[in-house]
Order: sequence, then structure tokens, then C-alpha cells
Amino acid sequence: MVAVDIIFAPIFLSALVYFLTRGAQHLAKYIALGWFIVLFFIAFNWYHQLPADGGFLPLGNFLSVPAFGFELTLQIDALSVAMLLLTAALLILVVFTSWEEKNQAAYFSLLILFSGPIFGVFMTTNVLWFFIFWELTLVPMLFLIGIWGAEERIYAAIKFFIYTHVFAMFMFVGFFLLFKQTGYWDITLIKEAAIATPALIWWLMFIGFAAKLPLFPFHTWLPDAHVQAPSSISVLLAGVLLKMGAYGLIRFTVELMPATTIQFSMWMLVLGLLTTLFAGMLAIYERHIKKMVAYSSISHMGLVVVAIATMTYDGLSAALYEMIGHALVISPLFLIAGWFHHKTHTWYMDEMGGIMKKAPYASAIFILAGMAALGLPGTMGFVGELTIIVSAVKSFGWWIAIIALAGLISAGYIIWSVRRAIHGPMSPIVEKSDFTMSFPEKFALAIYAFLIVYFGINPQPIFDIANQAFSFFGGM
Amino acid sequence: MSFIILIAAGLLVPLFYRNNIFIAKMIAVVAFLLAAYFIYTGNSLHSIFPYFTTDAATKLMEFVLLATLAAVSLALTGFERPLISQMLFLSGASIAFLETNNFFMYIVLFEVIAIISYILVANIRNFFNAEGAIKAFIAGAVASGIILLGFALFSFTTDSFNYAEMNVSGKFTLIAVAIMLAGIFYKLTVVPMHGWAADAYAQVNHAAAAILSGVIKSVVLVATFKAFYKFLIAYPVATVLIFSFFAIVTMTLANFMALWQKRISKILAFSSIAHSGYALIPFAAAASAYSYAGVLYYAVAYIFMQTSVFLILNDLRRELGVKYLQDIKGLYKVAPLHSLFFTVQLFSLAGIPLLAGFLSKAVAFYAGVDAGLWVIVLIALLNSALAVGYYVWIIKHIYFDDTNSNETITMTPGSLIGQLILLAGTVYFGIVAGNIINATVVY
Repeated sequence: MVAVDIIFAPIFLSALVYFLTRGAQHLAKYIALGWFIVLFFIAFNWYHQLPADGGFLPLGNFLSVPAFGFELTLQIDALSVAMLLLTAALLILVVFTSWEEKNQAAYFSLLILFSGPIFGVFMTTNVLWFFIFWELTLVPMLFLIGIWGAEERIYAAIKFFIYTHVFAMFMFVGFFLLFKQTGYWDITLIKEAAIATPALIWWLMFIGFAAKLPLFPFHTWLPDAHVQAPSSISVLLAGVLLKMGAYGLIRFTVELMPATTIQFSMWMLVLGLLTTLFAGMLAIYERHIKKMVAYSSISHMGLVVVAIATMTYDGLSAALYEMIGHALVISPLFLIAGWFHHKTHTWYMDEMGGIMKKAPYASAIFILAGMAALGLPGTMGFVGELTIIVSAVKSFGWWIAIIALAGLISAGYIIWSVRRAIHGPMSPIVEKSDFTMSFPEKFALAIYAFLIVYFGINPQPIFDIANQAFSFFGGM
Repeated sequence: MSFIILIAAGLLVPLFYRNNIFIAKMIAVVAFLLAAYFIYTGNSLHSIFPYFTTDAATKLMEFVLLATLAAVSLALTGFERPLISQMLFLSGASIAFLETNNFFMYIVLFEVIAIISYILVANIRNFFNAEGAIKAFIAGAVASGIILLGFALFSFTTDSFNYAEMNVSGKFTLIAVAIMLAGIFYKLTVVPMHGWAADAYAQVNHAAAAILSGVIKSVVLVATFKAFYKFLIAYPVATVLIFSFFAIVTMTLANFMALWQKRISKILAFSSIAHSGYALIPFAAAASAYSYAGVLYYAVAYIFMQTSVFLILNDLRRELGVKYLQDIKGLYKVAPLHSLFFTVQLFSLAGIPLLAGFLSKAVAFYAGVDAGLWVIVLIALLNSALAVGYYVWIIKHIYFDDTNSNETITMTPGSLIGQLILLAGTVYFGIVAGNIINATVVY
């Protein structure tokens, strides 16, 4: 019963938190923190209960409607657990980085509300419930961006909501056709049934996931949403919501329809490459610090799709590693970019300059995360990019080495932005700004830095999970 | 028994409401409860009169109808009091309309409901109301004439009007059905017969609009599906063509029109028209085993959502004089409870999950996919995503914009209980799909 409770309890918990802490706003964050820590330990406990053969750990069936073959089937495998752990960890860190957010009762109750459906997305194997949770994550996000965001927040929030909602509809029709042609809503059952029009269903679902990832040309919602969202929410958008797209791609195309995916893997590869290179170019062009980070985020998600397109065990493991790596690397970049804006009241890197002298701690972590983004050995970025390039070359031949250009481009935009914003002569704006950082924010950044280096030096724990998750490809 | 109680209460209420609206409300609520009880025990019309039958699905729709009308009658105040007795008559007629198994009775009761609706909209306070009421009346009268023409043509070709025994393969049947549908489409506000509705829903008193656009439309939807089911099955090609075409035209045009509006009641009116378009998809998919489930689910979800939003708008209009989108800027500070109910119901109308609006669309559209109309369903889904634009736009004005006003208003207890009933319906049917599907799908 724990499983279904942690999905639906947040609805009541968030209402309770809002009404209890309206008078004492500072209490909300402690309740949220406690709840997310509980979620983390539950996910951790499930990790240890996973069956060793790589199958699913059943967590129960609920709300059954036999005439429609419709029920909330909860079961998790190593891939889901990896996502659950990542989500819970990011939620905990988000509480620290939002420590001084305004209007805390509403903010943290929306965060708690968000935690339910996002867990549901990664826990259910029923496609209709997957879609329900997928859509539900949008509602708290709409309010979090629209109320706490920056100047253009309303435009960004509504664009984000409508854009992702529209593309989800393609996926929805794909799920309908799956049910019509197989008679099941549950992917573990669909897998064994014959599908009459796999190509059509594959493309419908792929468009839905591609918009979330986001892949070129469906990426235009992301720079607006990520830039205008408060930094902590950008962390959730980049760290968790984009991962829903990658997770969906692996679970519903690779695992569900491997033959069709191989048929269209070239399309995935080309779109992934285009995304990586195109977003990288745009990042070089940006003066706007958070937009630069947002394009860098898109560029890295393109690499994930390239890795998935290989359709090999190595490639998928690399994709999972890069998904986690991307979340941990991009998050501090977003946080610090947002923090720079908060302190200097400018978005533009050429108006910053010399921040290193006034805020050495944040600048150091920005540089570390930037180095990880460009793939410096010893960080998560290196392992991710290396494994992706190796697996892509193995699958597609030597020409794919052009993907190494992506590393070059990211070196370009990272180093140039470090030079413009962090080093160089101190600009008058930086001169008169006050750069004090609260302890919880420092703590959260330190954890990010630690994880980036730790998993960069010791990637084995993540590959262990990948080993278990993709054992159906017949392990390394 | 249920029918007699409702009509008797309808006659009794006018004696009280001039002096004490509370007693009138209580009589109405007790009548609705008693009617529900008698329907539950199987003591409805079919036990007394011929031409009526009932089943689990019909009963469920009747319970939903009675709950909604009870919620509306609790929320009414002041000059809307005549609506109470009109709603009691309406509920009696609707129960008969839902339970009938005779095409002649269907036509007669359709007229009865139409006449009650003319009286409903005649609650006129200004020129604006009068314009809406006259449009509703004239369009309704035209529709009645068209339906009677089609029915006359149909009656030449059949010996029996019983739904199961009707002769649907006569020479003129297809043309007769098409003419009747043209009339019924007026009531269902299908484009191009929607022009009256856009004005009438927006211009008549909002409580009457709640009943007109929410309750009556849902009832007509379900009863029409039951009445026309045999025709739909007998002419599969014409069914798919007619209903798919009108579904797409209706939803697309209404959604685009809604995007342009500044007046909130007009947005809700066009949203109501767009929803008629979605609701036609299970008609087009009559061949699917899920078609009846789709229609019934749509009607059940729609009755709660649409009634609720118009009732909230009625409260806001009365307390704050809200008419245009700019009037609800920062409403969450002024009227937090109204804002909350409004937002949830708008999300439901937009089709956000865990609310009835989502599951109703899921079931209705699945029926479409099941019948092979996945392209139509994809267009409908994209339309419903487009519709999110204007629903979220209203929510944007409520929560994201600021107001200078310092006054706050609270809900009256009656209104609060009414909204809670409607919200319970929206949430319950958004999570629990079993009742409706088990009642309609034979497996």
C-alpha cells in the first residue's frame, strides 16, 4: 500500500501544509524536506528489494475497471528506481536552494503536490495512468513558473503548459492505438502481444517524448520556461521533467517496440545530432546567462537521444548515465546563473565580469559544473560523453565521431561565458552588488559538486543500476 | 413515484418562495432526495406507465442529474427563486426523457423540455437578458418545427415507435433521420446551428445558463443517443460521415471563437459549444462497444463542470459585478474559495487528469479509436489542447495578475454546499471510472 499512498498522499498533504502553515510560513519547508527525505528512503528501500534478474518489482494493482482493462498497476525496475532516486534527491536539494523563497506555504505545498505525479510517472506500467501522471505534473509547474518566475513568467508558463500539452496528445493517441490493437493498457502485457501498425504508433509516441526531451525542432518552449522559472524550478524542469521524456523514450519505444525502434533509429540519431549541434551553436551565440545554460541543457539531451538510438546495451547504459549526469551538472549551473541574476539584476554575461573576486565559492562551483558540462575527465560529463561516443561509434561507424564536435562547442560556450562573467575586469554592476549566499544554498551546491566529482571518478554504482535495468539486452 | 414527487414539489414550491426561499430550497432538496430514493428502489416511471424502461446506466444519469439540480437549487438566491420550481419540473421531464423507450414519447418530451427551457430563460431583468431569451426561444421554435418534419416523415415508414422494434430500413428513413438530427443539433448547439447558443448562454441569467448549457444539454445528449442508436447502427457510413464532420467543425470553430472573447460568459458559452463537438465523437463511433460509455461519461462529466463554472460566475457577477476577463484580475485575493472551485472546474473542462473532464474525454475518444477513427480523435485532442489556451488564460487572470482591491467576499453556505457537491462529482468521476463503464459495456 505504501506505493499508492506516496502517489496520492501529496494531494492531501499539500492542502494540509498550505492551510497549516499559512500563519507560520517558515514551517512549510521543513515539512516538505521531511516528506522528500521519506520519499528518498522509500525509493532507496525499493532499490534493495529489486529482483536480481532485472525484472519488475510488483507494488500492487489499484482502482480496477475490468471492462476497460484499466487499472493502476504499480511496478518498478532498476530504470524506474534510478529515476525515483534522482527525483527524490533533486527535490531535497531544491528545498535547500529555495530556502528563502517568498510566499513559502504556497510554494512548498505546490512542490509537495508535484512529488506525487512525478513518482507516479516512474512507477506505473499502465500507459493510461502514465499519461495521467505525465499531464498532472504540468499543473503545479504552471503555478510555480507563473507565480514565482522572472519578468516574462506568465508568457513562459502558459507557453510551457500548452506546448507540452499539445504534444502529449500525439502520445495519447498512440497509447489508444496500442490498447485497441493489443487489448492491454499494461506495457508488460503489450510487449507480448502483436501490434498491427507499429510504425504509426511509434511516431505518435516519439513526437510526444521528443517535445518533452526536447528534440529539435520541438525545443522552443524550453528556453522560455527554464529562463523565466525560478532557479530551483529550472532544476526540476531540467533534472526531472526532461528525464520523463528520456525515460518514456526508453520504456515505450526501446523496451516496448525494439524492432520498430531499430527501423527508425537513424531518424533518432539524426534528430539527436541536430539537437546537440544546433543547441550548442545557439548557446555560443547567447549573451543571456540562463539561456546559455538552457541551450546547453538541450544540447546534452540530444546526446542522450544519440545514445538511445544506438539500441545497444552500451548505448542505453551510457544514456542512463548521461541522464543522471545531466541532472547533476545542469542543476548547479542553473542555480548559480539564477543567483547571479538575483544579485546583479542583469541577465547578460558581458555586463557581469569579475564575479570571481566577489563570490569565489559560487564561481568555483560554476566553473566546476561548467567543466563537467564540457566533459573534463574526473567529472560526470567526461564519463557520459565518452561512453556515448564509444557506443555510437561502435554502432554507426567512424563518421559518428563528428559528435565529438559537440564537446568542442560546449568547451566554446562554457569557457567563453566563464571568461565573460566570472573572470575579467570587474564591471560596475558587480562592484556595487552584494553577493552573500545563505548556508542552505551553499550546502546544496557543495552536494552537487561532490556528486559530480564522486560519480565522475567512481561511475560504477550508476552502471550497476544500468546493468540491472538493461539486462534484457544481455549485459556487458 | 419519483416523477410524481418532483412534479408535486414543483407545484408546491411557488406557494413558499415568495416569503421564504429557504423553505422552498429545502422542499426542492427533499424532493430530489426522495426521487433519487425511489429511482434507487426501482419505483420510477416504468413501474407505473408504459413506454418507459430503466437500466443501470439510466439510473446513474438520473442520480447525477438530481445531484446537480440539488446543488443548483442550494446555490440560488433572491430573484432567481422561480428557477426552483422550474428545475423541479425539468427534473421530472428529464427523468421521463431518459427512461422512455418510445420514439413518440422522445419527441413529445423533447418539446416539454424545450418549453421548460424557454420559461427558464424568461427570467428577464434587462434588455441584455431579453435578447438572449428571445434568441433561445426563436431558435428552439425553429428546431421544433424541423424535428417534427423529420418525425412525420419517419412515422410513414414504421409501424412501431418502440426503440427496439422501430423499422429503420424504410425508404425515407435516412432523410428523415437527417432532418430530425438537424433539429436536435440546435439543442446540442452543433455548428452551424450554434449561433443562438453563443448569445443565449452568455446573456441570460447565469444560473439559468448553468441549467441550459449544463443540465439540459447532457440530458439531451444521453437520451438522443439511446433514441438514435438503432439508426446509427443501421447506417454506418452516413453516421461516421455526418457526426465526424460536425464534430470537427463544431469543436474547431468554437475553440477559435472562444480564444477571441473578452467576456467570461461568452468564453464559457463557446467552450460549451466546443464540448458538444467532442461529445459527437462517440456518436460517430456508434459501432464501438464503448460508444454508449463514451456518451454517458461525457454527459456525466460535463454536467458537473459546466454547471459549476456558470454558478460561480453567477456568484461573482452578483457580488463583484464580474463581466469581463479584466474584472477577475487577482481574484484569488478577493474571493479565494470561488477562485479555487473555478480553477479546478476549468482544469477539468480543459481535460487535466484526475478530474472527470479527462476520463470522459479518454473514454469518449477511445470509443472513436476503437471504431477506427483515430485521425478524428487526434484532431479532437489537438483541439482540446488548443482549448487549454483560453481556460489557462482565465486562470492566468485569477492567479498571476494583481489587483488593487482590498475587499474580500466569502461564499454563502448554500453556494458552498452546492459547489462541494459538484466538485465531489468532478473528482469522483475523475478517479473512479468503474461505475459508468460497468453500467454500459457488456463484456
